[in-house]
Amino acid sequence: MSKRNKAVNEITDQMVARHGTAVDAVIPLLQDIQQEFNYLPVPALQRICETTGITPSRIAGISSFYAQFRHSPAGKHRIRVCTGTACHVKGALFVYEAFRRELKLEEEEDTDASMIFTLEKVACLGCCTLAPVVRIDEVTYGHVVPENVEGLLRDFLTKHQKGIDRQPVYQVSQSNIQGEIRIGLGSCCVASGSSEVKSQLEQTLAQARISVNVREVGCVGICNQVPIMEIIKPGENPVFYAKIKPEDIRGVVLSHFKSEGYINRFKTGFFNLFENILSDGMPSSFRKYLEEQRDSPLSGFLGPQVNIATENRGVSNPLDLEGYRQSGGFESLRKCLTRMTTQKVIDEVTASGLRGRGGAGFPTGRKWQLVKDQADAEKYVICNGDEGDPGAFMDRMLLESYPFRIIEGMLIAGYATGASNGIFYIRAEYPLAVTRVGEALRICRNSGLIGTSIFNSAFSFDIRIFAGAGAFVCGEETALIASVEGNRGLPRMRPPYPVEKGLWGKPTLVNNTETLSLVPWIIHHGAKAFSGIGTAGSKGTKVFALAGKVKRGGLIEVPMGTTIRKIVEEIGGGIAGDRKFKAVQIGGPSGGCLPASMADLPVDFEALKEAGTMMGSGGLIVLDETDCMVDIAHYFLSFTQSQSCGRCTFCRIGTRRMLDILDKIREGKGKPEDLTILEKLARSTIRGSLCGLGKTAPNPVLTTLLYFREEYEAHLAGHCPAGKCLPLIRYEVTADCIGCTKCAQRCPSDAIAFKPYELHTIDVEKCIKCDICRQVCPADAILIL
Amino acid sequence: MIKLTIDHQPVEAQEGTSVMEAASMLGITIPSMCYMQGYSNHPSCMVCLVKDLDRDSLFPSCAMPVSEGMNILTVSAEVEEARREALELLLSDHRGDCEAPCRLSCPAFMDIPLMNRLIAAGDFDQAIRVVKEEIALPLVLGFICPAPCEKACKRKPMDQAVSICLLKRSAAIYGTSTNTVKPWLPNTGSKKVAIIGTGPAGLSAAFYLLRAGYACVLYDQHEKAGGAMRYEIPDDHLPKEMLDTEIGEIVRMGAEFRMGNPVTRESFQQAILPDFDAIILAAGARKPDTAGIFGLEPDEHGAFFNKSNFSTSIPGVFGCGNILREQRMAVHSAAQGKMAAKHVEDYLEGGISIEHKEFRHTVVSVTGTLQKSEWNEYLKESIPEQRVEPIDGILKGLSADEAILEAKRCLHCDCRKPSSCKLRDYAVTYGAHRKRFAGPEQNLVTKSVQHDAIVYETEKCIRCGLCVDITVKHGESFGLAFAGRGFDVRISVPFNETIREALTFTAGECVKACPTGALAFKNQEERIPE
Repeated sequence: MSKRNKAVNEITDQMVARHGTAVDAVIPLLQDIQQEFNYLPVPALQRICETTGITPSRIAGISSFYAQFRHSPAGKHRIRVCTGTACHVKGALFVYEAFRRELKLEEEEDTDASMIFTLEKVACLGCCTLAPVVRIDEVTYGHVVPENVEGLLRDFLTKHQKGIDRQPVYQVSQSNIQGEIRIGLGSCCVASGSSEVKSQLEQTLAQARISVNVREVGCVGICNQVPIMEIIKPGENPVFYAKIKPEDIRGVVLSHFKSEGYINRFKTGFFNLFENILSDGMPSSFRKYLEEQRDSPLSGFLGPQVNIATENRGVSNPLDLEGYRQSGGFESLRKCLTRMTTQKVIDEVTASGLRGRGGAGFPTGRKWQLVKDQADAEKYVICNGDEGDPGAFMDRMLLESYPFRIIEGMLIAGYATGASNGIFYIRAEYPLAVTRVGEALRICRNSGLIGTSIFNSAFSFDIRIFAGAGAFVCGEETALIASVEGNRGLPRMRPPYPVEKGLWGKPTLVNNTETLSLVPWIIHHGAKAFSGIGTAGSKGTKVFALAGKVKRGGLIEVPMGTTIRKIVEEIGGGIAGDRKFKAVQIGGPSGGCLPASMADLPVDFEALKEAGTMMGSGGLIVLDETDCMVDIAHYFLSFTQSQSCGRCTFCRIGTRRMLDILDKIREGKGKPEDLTILEKLARSTIRGSLCGLGKTAPNPVLTTLLYFREEYEAHLAGHCPAGKCLPLIRYEVTADCIGCTKCAQRCPSDAIAFKPYELHTIDVEKCIKCDICRQVCPADAILIL
Repeated sequence: MIKLTIDHQPVEAQEGTSVMEAASMLGITIPSMCYMQGYSNHPSCMVCLVKDLDRDSLFPSCAMPVSEGMNILTVSAEVEEARREALELLLSDHRGDCEAPCRLSCPAFMDIPLMNRLIAAGDFDQAIRVVKEEIALPLVLGFICPAPCEKACKRKPMDQAVSICLLKRSAAIYGTSTNTVKPWLPNTGSKKVAIIGTGPAGLSAAFYLLRAGYACVLYDQHEKAGGAMRYEIPDDHLPKEMLDTEIGEIVRMGAEFRMGNPVTRESFQQAILPDFDAIILAAGARKPDTAGIFGLEPDEHGAFFNKSNFSTSIPGVFGCGNILREQRMAVHSAAQGKMAAKHVEDYLEGGISIEHKEFRHTVVSVTGTLQKSEWNEYLKESIPEQRVEPIDGILKGLSADEAILEAKRCLHCDCRKPSSCKLRDYAVTYGAHRKRFAGPEQNLVTKSVQHDAIVYETEKCIRCGLCVDITVKHGESFGLAFAGRGFDVRISVPFNETIREALTFTAGECVKACPTGALAFKNQEERIPE
């Protein structure tokens, strides 16, 4: 045995010691191997087969099913270009192509020659309001533009090599606290630089010797304004600082709080001045946070919202158990355990009218009852946090910001159904959520909220985390269960339903994250309070990830029955950039596109279904006139097609053939009969697929065919009205050109000759339609024809 | 017991029974490709879809357990359309040839690749038996056939086509006649068929009718049988003793030849028409008086012969060969003679004529022109040698050794499971068309031949996973695995091992379970004639 193999064996054996030798250890084992080696080396996999009950067939099947796993060495750093819906409509593909050019990647290659960067697309990073988003290792960049990927890589390499500054955390003297400063630490905030803001803040406070409470809070929801800092002083209105930059901190803090001692004040002021001079004229082009620096308390955005799942948002520290309990946390659980029978709990949930928030809207109380009625001694509760819809980040935000609330919801569900084990299934792309929930579980366990005899009752419950490995289809409950059991995430035929035969053949309750997060509120305020909100068939609130072409995107929670128009125009502030509101895409890849003319439709399970779309898990992407509906249909279908498990013929081949037809149409090569075949295949795929993925995948195609058929027909005639479909468009310079040569300098394919002070022209033969010239032109002189 | 209704018939089944099993209790067979008893019941092909009338939805019957009061329909336009679409989708992702292109371009649909393999194995006796299934005069045609098969040969673009025509002649020469053609003397009391004309059409018709047990009488104005083959083709193209040999065989089978007198209107009406159960007109190209002699009336389109079953206005009178339509190739006439014999048989046995499903309609998958990168895949099972030119000249033909060498050049592009492929079977049954949902690009053919007993052709696989299940259930150390997901899911061997490593003792079972030709035995033939 070679030395290398010996080392591999030792490392692998340690992992096996950690995760055990049962078949369901396979995914955690592979995740560890990948973490260690950056990919899955065959000797390590062989070692697993030697030392566990896991067969080569299982390893090969699983490691090639989940997108997280690689079979060849990756570069030192991983660049993940988010191609979620919001990023897609804001040009993520241009960004992706720009990276390919920058890294000089040949076809089929994903790693540059010197093995520094590996480039990949990822379905959604859940930072939709910062679109387009790119994440390099743990560093997230928002509002990336293709022209500056080179600068971005440089920025990463310099920062990365420096290492992250680890300043000592400033401790406030408890004696003279002047107020509180809250900083959002949701993924969007972190992505937009809130941790730099925080370290700058701590530094400033330390240097200026100012005593204030610095509080880290979960997602504030106003993701379009991140990073957000809120300053609260006794006797004054709170002040929000939106899109704040580290270099602004000093000035902001000093304008609110007094420094201790005159000299310090002078010193800090002096340094502040100096830094302003230095930082001026060095705007970082991938973050354009120059306008609207100081916002109002954002009444339009927050006003129409009702917070149940997101109660206390922007106030609570996600991992502050005391804070959660002080605001009534775990009281609902105590109430259930001490004053309510299990049937009473279920009756309450049933009476509230709560329906599953994962998409299909099955009545939650009835599902609980079905599990309760099973005679088995062993039952499971699974929190489905495998939020995979591109353009949706509700679950991520809830898990990151309110882990205790969801844990409480799960405990109540466990008590009501007679289960004693719970699992958080959280997708791999949400590392922060995994860490937060893990930490929250540890805290709960230490406080006796998880474990045996909770609140001195007879109820015992344990919870663990299972990190998904990158497969959208695992959001389907039977596929999710297959995945936990250590299998490829294949949905299976129902019946039997998981409520009868689920995990390990035992009755299993699978509830969506948001569903569970609503439960404590229902128990606390009563079923009536909850059912008093909403419509006849859809009660309570719904959390949406609002993104796309609205002025203010973010995470919102609105009462059921709120109209789409209200969401777009009041909460979202209307369409950005004075363009026309064209459509909303609701429900992600399972949903559909509704035209602006139907914007008075309420958010309601039945109303949306009737319109051909569905509630889905809550992605809400707003589209304007520059969005091509054929492109949108293609986008969603290519997502579901790539995420099909590959089992049912109609889903595996049918969605692919539909995509082939859409490709043809986007290239202007479609024929009228293609629309007939497309529609036919769409209906057949719905009818002939077993699980929700196949049964809903054609919805984006069918709704766009229904509401925007004229756009398909325009493509058949060789024209893309929105100017999105590359084979049907060309770029041209108008007479507005000022001859500044910016486009010529940036053009990656030398399609624009460098002729200062002359009208530029684009050589259509050379043009690769990367859109950079249009974006850099200061005179808006580049047109898409 | 659970009570339900299937196709309007009540049935009782135990809990846990699948709808498919319950249907079989009623004698209703539901097609299925991915289901096999004893293995993980994970529906994928969707060919077994049935209709749940109460829920107004379709579901795969193999995996749906019966439930009380279910109301199921297994046959309806909707169900059939859904099954057809499933098959069409599978076909759109299936690349291979049900039948070799040479066979498809042969007017007589001779099983050329099978003949080649038998010759390559030195089994000329079996080879000639295969040939005679479709061609009554292989020796003669081995001299004069223009060989359209060779123009379609997949080997042709690589270097040169396989020398099919000469191989067929070799089969006739080296395959012993006595072994292959026993004298099929007609039973006494057999039905009698008259055949007017002894060219390739008439002789072929006689051959297949005699073989089926009918008595045949052949009429010709010439003294000797053979028609144009004898009187128009020069000796240096076709030595006449060859023709005599093959006619001699037909004589030995019991044919009666009435030669030297032209059939006239009177002799036909008085001596032939009343005396025979059926008559085949194979008298060569039509002349102005032909219709008059036989008393044929044209149909509303002005045609004397029915295109599909060769019948005429007179019951029991059929035509074949140039009398139908002028054609240059003798093999065409020979093929029609064979078809006419079948139509006559249908007529005599049923009284009504059954339309024979044309052979090419049973072909549901065709590769078309190969990419150059695919050539090597095909050459894996062939030899790189150039086409063998007979050392003693074309007229002498190939020696037995030369024939064996030449036959080895064949690429085996026909399917190894022509009879047992369920995809083909169901696609024919449901009228599925491979091009309806065709994708923009075709998958490239790959052949894994490392295993001693089997061949694995990925692009024929429908991803049912039965083979994966089998290797796992029986504890193969490597076994097979699903690789990837979605449209790109493939069956592969873990850790890049070969198929030889994967199937150490389950190969046979996997081949039997595989519903298509994706996994097949290397050296077994499904269609050897008895």
